[in-house]
Amino acid sequence: MTDEKENEQLNNDAEECKRQAEEYLNNWKRERADFVNYKKDEAKRMEEFLKFSNEGMIIQLADVIDVIEAARSNLPDTREFKEWADGFDRSLHKLEDFLKKFGVEKINIERAKFDPSMHEAVEIQDKDGEKIEEIRPGYTMHGKVIRPVRVRIIR
Amino acid sequence: MGKILGIDLGTTNSAMAVVEIGQPRILENKEGIRTTPSVVAVGKNGERYVGVTAKRQAVTNPANTIYSVKRLIGRRFNDPEVQRDKKLLPYEIKEGAHGDVEVKIGDKWHKPAEVSAMILQKLKTDAEDKLGEKITEAIITVPAYFDDAQRKATKDAGEIAGLTVKRVINEPTAAALAYGLNKKKDEKIVVYDFGGGTFDISVLEIGDDTIEVKGTGGDTHLGGDDIDQKIIQHLLEEFKKEQGVDISKDQLAVQRLKDAAEKAKHELSTTLQTEINIPFLTADAGGAKHFSMTFTRAKLESLVKDLVDRSIELTKKTVEGAGYKMSDINEVVMVGGQTRMPLIVEEVKKLFGKDPHKDINPDEVVALGAAIQGGIMQGQVRDVLLLDVTPLSLGIETLGQVFTKMIEKNTTVPVSKSQVFSTAADNQPSVEIHVLQGERAMAHDNKTLGRFILDGIPPAPRGVPQVEVSFDIDANGILNVKAKDKGTGKEQSVRIEGSSGLTDEEKKKMTADAEQHAAEDAKRKELAETKNLAETMIYTTEKMVKENDAKIKEEDKEELKVAGEKLKVGLKSDNLEEIKKAVEELSKVAQRVGASLYEAGKADPSTSSGQAAEEPQKASASAEASADKEEVKPEEENK
Repeated sequence: MTDEKENEQLNNDAEECKRQAEEYLNNWKRERADFVNYKKDEAKRMEEFLKFSNEGMIIQLADVIDVIEAARSNLPDTREFKEWADGFDRSLHKLEDFLKKFGVEKINIERAKFDPSMHEAVEIQDKDGEKIEEIRPGYTMHGKVIRPVRVRIIR
Repeated sequence: MGKILGIDLGTTNSAMAVVEIGQPRILENKEGIRTTPSVVAVGKNGERYVGVTAKRQAVTNPANTIYSVKRLIGRRFNDPEVQRDKKLLPYEIKEGAHGDVEVKIGDKWHKPAEVSAMILQKLKTDAEDKLGEKITEAIITVPAYFDDAQRKATKDAGEIAGLTVKRVINEPTAAALAYGLNKKKDEKIVVYDFGGGTFDISVLEIGDDTIEVKGTGGDTHLGGDDIDQKIIQHLLEEFKKEQGVDISKDQLAVQRLKDAAEKAKHELSTTLQTEINIPFLTADAGGAKHFSMTFTRAKLESLVKDLVDRSIELTKKTVEGAGYKMSDINEVVMVGGQTRMPLIVEEVKKLFGKDPHKDINPDEVVALGAAIQGGIMQGQVRDVLLLDVTPLSLGIETLGQVFTKMIEKNTTVPVSKSQVFSTAADNQPSVEIHVLQGERAMAHDNKTLGRFILDGIPPAPRGVPQVEVSFDIDANGILNVKAKDKGTGKEQSVRIEGSSGLTDEEKKKMTADAEQHAAEDAKRKELAETKNLAETMIYTTEKMVKENDAKIKEEDKEELKVAGEKLKVGLKSDNLEEIKKAVEELSKVAQRVGASLYEAGKADPSTSSGQAAEEPQKASASAEASADKEEVKPEEENK
C-alpha cells in the first residue's frame, strides 16, 4: 500500500517535472524567437537610423543657409554688386548640391497650395487670389519633411 | 497576442510606447517624431489635421484649431477652470445639453472626448503603420488629480478611437513604473512634472500591490511655455536697447526670436553660455539689422527664477498637505521637458536633499510607464524573468599592468565572453590569469577576485602561443574564468562566487573613484600601452635583423641599432612624448629597411616569397596586439 502511494507520488512528481520542463523549454523558445525577431527589427531600425543620422546636423546647417540666403537677397540690385550676387548664387548652388548627396532637397512651393504636411503658415495677408509665399525654405530628406517651408498665405 | 499601446495623452504633446521583449520602447509617429502635438484642426473643406500638421496650419485657421482640449475633458461648463480657459482659448466653447462642455469645429459642436479621440486615433494608426500589426488595446494616462468624470471621458475618447482601454492610470504612477519604483514597498515618492503648459506635483505611496496617490497639487497654467515667453521678452528688450527698434509686432521677426529662444534654452541645459546670432532679423531705412548677444545660463536662471520658485513652493505645500515632511520622501521623479533645466534639478535636490531620478527622457517617461503597465497586464514584463546585471566590469591584467575588461559593467547576465591572448616573452612557459573587478584602467587599482596559472606552454616566440581566456557568469552571478592553451589543449580555471557581492556603498565608491581618476588613469594606460608597443617594436626589429642578417646593409643595421637604443633609453624615462617620438623614429627606419628587404626578396627569385611576405605580416600582427591578441604579462614578472 505504502509502495503504491510512493509510486503514485513519484509518478506525480515525474509528471510535474515533465510539465515544468515543457513550460521552461517553451518559454526558452519564445525568448529565443523574441530575440531573433527583435534583432531583425533592430536591423531595420538601424538602417533607418543610419539613413537619417545626419538629420540633426542638416537642420542646423539649413539655419546657416538661411542666413546666407538672407545676405544674398539683401545685396543691392545694382551693376556694382552683380559679381557679388553671382558669387553668392554659385555658393548657394554648391551647398544645395552638397545637400543632395545626403538625400536632402529643397521643397518647391511653385504653384503649390498650402499643405501643412510640408508647409508651416506663419502669416496671413488678405488680398485677392489665393497663393503661398516662401518665408523660409523647407527641406525633405529621403522624402521625409525634416523642416517644413515657412509660408505666408495670401488670400 | 497583440501589443497594448501605452499612451501619454498630454495637454500640449502626446507620446506612445509599446513593450518589446519585456522592454518599453517609444514609437515614432508617421512624421518620424517621438512626440505628437495634442492639436486637432478641421480645414475649410472638412479635411482633418492632427498633430504637427494641425499646428502648422493654426494661424490660417485659429477658430478651428483645437489645442489643450485636455483642459476641458470631462469637466462641467460652469467649472471655474473652464470659465478661466474660455477666455484664453481662441476657439469657441459652449455648455452642452448635460451641463458639460462642447467645442466648435467648423459648423459642428463636439465633446472634448471626441477631439481627444481624434488624437488617439492618429496615434493608433501611426503605431499600426510602424509595427505592421493591428492595435486594439491601450493604457491611457491622466493626471493624478483627474476626477471620475474626467477619467471616464478619457476612457470614452479611447473607445471612440477604436481602442479597448484596458486601464486609465495616473501619469505619476506611470513615471514611477518606468523607473521600476513599484517594487520599492512602503516608499514615498514625489513626481515633479513640469510640462509645456501645466505643472503637476504628486505624492505617491507604494503599497503591497498598489501605488496610492497621497496628494496632488500644482498649477494648471505654469509650464515651459511661460519660460519661453520670458526669454522672448528679454530678447525683444535687448534688441530694442541695441538697435532702438521695437519688433514685437513683426510676426516674422518674433518667430525667428522664438526659434532662437528655444534653441538657446535647450543649449543652456548643457552649456554655461550660448551665442544668439540672428543676422538680417529686420530692416529699416538704415538697412538690415542684425541681432547678436551672449546669453548665459545665469541670466536665464535669473529671468525664470520666480517661476521655478513658485513650483518649489507648490511642491512643498503639496507634500506637507499629504501629511509628510520633506525628509519622509524616499524618491523623487522628474517628468516633463522643462525638468532638463539644471536650475530645476538643483532646486528639487535642495528641497528633498536627494538626487531626483532623471535618467529617462522626461518627455517620454510617462508613455514608457504606460507601456510597462500594459506589459505587466499581458504578463510580458515577468518578475521571474527579471535579469541581473554585472555591477562592475570584470577582466584580467595584461602586459604593463593594464586592466583589460572582458565583461563590461551593466552587462545583463547570464553571459560569456572570450578573447585570445598571447605571451609577452620568448619561450614563456606559463601565463598568470589575474582576475579583477572594477572600472579603473590600471590593474592594481581594481579589486582582485582571484588568480591562477596556466603552465606547460611549449617554448615559442612571444606572441605566438594562443591562450583563450573565457569569462562566464551564470544566472546566479557565479563567475567562471577559464584559460586554455589552444596549442596543447591544456586548461585551467577558477570559480568565483559572489563576484557581485559588493555592497551598494562599495559599488558606488568604485564607480565614483573611476570617474574621478578617469583622466589620470587614461594617461597611465596610454603610457603602459605605448611602452608595450615600444617593446614590441624593439623585439620585432631585433628579430628582423637577426633573421635577415646577411641581407641588411651595415649602415641600416647601425641606424636600427641607434634608433632601438634611443627607444630603450626613452622607455626608462616614463616620458610618453619621448617614447612616442622614439617609437615613430624606429618604426620609420624599420619600415624602410623592411620594404627594401621585401623588394630584394621580390627581385631575387631564390628567396622564397612566402618567407619575405611573412615578416611584415608578423610585424603588423604585433603592432595590433592590443586589438585582437593581447599579451598576458609573463608570469615571471610577478615572481
